[in-house]
Amino acid sequence: MEHARHVFRVLFVLLLALVAFVLGRTLLVPKSYGVYGPYRFDNVAEQAAARPPLHGGAASCADCHDERFKKVAAGSHRNVSCEICHGPLGRHVKDGDVVAKMAVDRSFTLCARCHRKIEGRPEKFPQVVLEQHVHQQGPSKLEGKVCLECHDPHSPKP
Amino acid sequence: MDDGSTRREFIQGAIKLGGGALVLLSGTSLAGEEHPAERYDWAAHRYAYLIDTTKCIGCGSCVRACAAENDVPDGFFRTWIERYVLSAEASHVDSPNGGKDGFPPVETGFLPTKSFFVPKMCNHCKETPCIQVCPVGASYRTKDGVVMVDGDRCIGCGYCVQACPYGSRFLSPRTHTAEKCTWCYHRVVEGLKPACVTVCPTGTRMFGDMMREDDPVRLALEHERVAVMQGHLLTEPQCFYIGLDREVR
Repeated sequence: MEHARHVFRVLFVLLLALVAFVLGRTLLVPKSYGVYGPYRFDNVAEQAAARPPLHGGAASCADCHDERFKKVAAGSHRNVSCEICHGPLGRHVKDGDVVAKMAVDRSFTLCARCHRKIEGRPEKFPQVVLEQHVHQQGPSKLEGKVCLECHDPHSPKP
Repeated sequence: MDDGSTRREFIQGAIKLGGGALVLLSGTSLAGEEHPAERYDWAAHRYAYLIDTTKCIGCGSCVRACAAENDVPDGFFRTWIERYVLSAEASHVDSPNGGKDGFPPVETGFLPTKSFFVPKMCNHCKETPCIQVCPVGASYRTKDGVVMVDGDRCIGCGYCVQACPYGSRFLSPRTHTAEKCTWCYHRVVEGLKPACVTVCPTGTRMFGDMMREDDPVRLALEHERVAVMQGHLLTEPQCFYIGLDREVR
């Protein structure tokens, strides 16, 4: 009987340890952890709902600005989405209501981001040496809205 | 024989307990397939990304769009553009502010014979080292092929930042946890493209679904000659490149 009591004591301690382990694990490990792998599945849903999409894409602008959209679509800037120059739709419209005016940047630096001649751009892409180009066209200086004096950004001539 | 029956009972009980514990320990749920968002079956998609560097003009629209869309802290980048200006003997690589404000003209001290831009971002590798080194199971890859970080579990140890061969992760100065490109998962589940792809004016950046037979990216991967970055590392990147140069790592 003495032996049996010894075995029982050891088993009791082991059982206690097991219960503590299982209880601790249940409490500490998040519920969805391990459902599809060693990660918390709930985070996938959290990431999916992290924030509402901010950029709407050019087509979403056409919902209200159809005329402008058609004009851009017919010109050589047809692949230039509105949001590239004007910023993301989400800053302008929220839940169908206009919340702020769209940014309009008329400075030459905006045009220069794409069309200034620099090392790196594909040769066929239309680009100009800014100072030289402005100088050739007349008395204007390379400053402010100088590009818009000749070019319409929504439908520039190639 | 009273002893024998209790032993049998004990053994039976132990087996049941052990089995129950195993189920608990394996952590598997007996419930059916769950989905990360309503009307979105994540098992029905597997995403891939294609970058045609021959088209990139280095305007930085993607970097600006990414920063706005994902509220990326200043000075940190989930995507960025590098410029390579090369000759046979010399090379110059720059990425001022990640290319966010475009690129200035460059003075190189040597006569460049070729130059090009390379947009970079997380490669969403199939066999990614960043997940392997994470000690807390914060980094993971979804069924639809997106590598993400669980900010609640991340302890900010930075192992993954070091492990990524592409430098695509950083520790956020706000949360002090690892942050990275998610392929705009919040957009993708809504059927939209990532912000960088949405704004790219030249079609350099393409996002596709390998489960769709007529997908342009899938067709390009099937029929064009595409490369991955640092293929020798066998990380199986899911970002593919057209027009990569040997100088690009």
